[in-house]
Amino acid sequence: MIALEAATYRYPGESSWALAPVSLELRPGEVVGVRGPNESGKSTLCLVVSGLAPSAIGGELGGRALIDGRPTSELRPHELATRCGLLLDNPAVQLTGLHRTVFEEVAFGPCNLGLPLAEVGRRTRDALDVLDIGHLAERHPGHLSGGESQLVALAGLLALRPAHLALDEPTSRLDPDRTGLVAGAIAAVAAAGTAVLVAEHDEELLGRLCVRVVDL
Amino acid sequence: MVITALAALRAGRLRRLALAALALAPVALSSLVINALLPAGGGGVAGALAALLRLLGATLPPTLLFATTDTADLLGELEARGLGRRAVLVVGTALAAVPRTQARAVEAIEAQRARGLDTEGSWPRRLRGVLPLVGPVVIGGLAEVEERALALEARAFGAPGRRTLLRRLPDSGWQRAARWALAAAAAAALAARVAVR
Repeated sequence: MIALEAATYRYPGESSWALAPVSLELRPGEVVGVRGPNESGKSTLCLVVSGLAPSAIGGELGGRALIDGRPTSELRPHELATRCGLLLDNPAVQLTGLHRTVFEEVAFGPCNLGLPLAEVGRRTRDALDVLDIGHLAERHPGHLSGGESQLVALAGLLALRPAHLALDEPTSRLDPDRTGLVAGAIAAVAAAGTAVLVAEHDEELLGRLCVRVVDL
Repeated sequence: MVITALAALRAGRLRRLALAALALAPVALSSLVINALLPAGGGGVAGALAALLRLLGATLPPTLLFATTDTADLLGELEARGLGRRAVLVVGTALAAVPRTQARAVEAIEAQRARGLDTEGSWPRRLRGVLPLVGPVVIGGLAEVEERALALEARAFGAPGRRTLLRRLPDSGWQRAARWALAAAAAAALAARVAVR
């Protein structure tokens, strides 16, 4: 479970807080939405929930942010990655661009952990199957549509088997059909027990997926 | 160069190699003019030919390497042979930087055209059209570096220990022997050059 207790955050070198104090709980299998105008701190909240702020990018965390009972500031980035996946709004930067097949791209995370080859293959196939994109496995990651790229980026996170996901505007660059694909994937992931935080502008999507919505 | 040409023939990439060599024609021509016709050059036709051979020797082997070797395979083998994951990423990112920058430039051009910027027509007009692209391409590239670094952390790139390698390229005994023989030949050639001087 992820718990924020009056959590607030200030980027390195900034004097003002980018996130007003937020308290929330994210339990297994539930999808919680975050909405708010631009610059309200949705992306920052995703960073804080994933623990990468401040663990990877520095800055100052106010209040408390806990993953499975441990303060996120005590965990190293690779430990956080296996507990909470962070999906950025731009899949182009989330894919490494160094692999020639989607399978290899999705396997990048498990390979980073140094897992045995059989386990890497198992996790990669499972992640592709959960999102129903097994048919993309042999495609070149550079030849995917925006929606497919976003799903592959999500699969790359799922292959690390995190219990939580923080999704920062996962459909902001997608047309309605592709948005439907990603929404279906989020529902499938949550049904498998993953806790999901979704920052979105799309009210209809939030209403369809979320058990509750946090306003910033 | 002979070895490079034989390797290209074996790999079916002789045409690609010939095109790369042909691309050096303007340089070869200017070298010939400078060495043969201008007093400052002084090398004559032989000097121009020597300069061209050096240039071909420096450019054709890497051309053949990238014409025959997939980047992912190259990076995988470098890592398998002990190069650290961060160094591999730096090499891979550098190799991927050109197509990425090209794609970003195309996006910027299309965005500017949509706003009415004229990027075609006479050269002065095209030049004026380039300036508004510099900001989006350069600043966009810098912003992307930060996002990419964050995305890598989100995929456990900083985990300690060795990464799992999905596959190794086949490496036969004669290939290993050929590599050692070429390295020895290069060292011998270098030593001979130093000794002769």
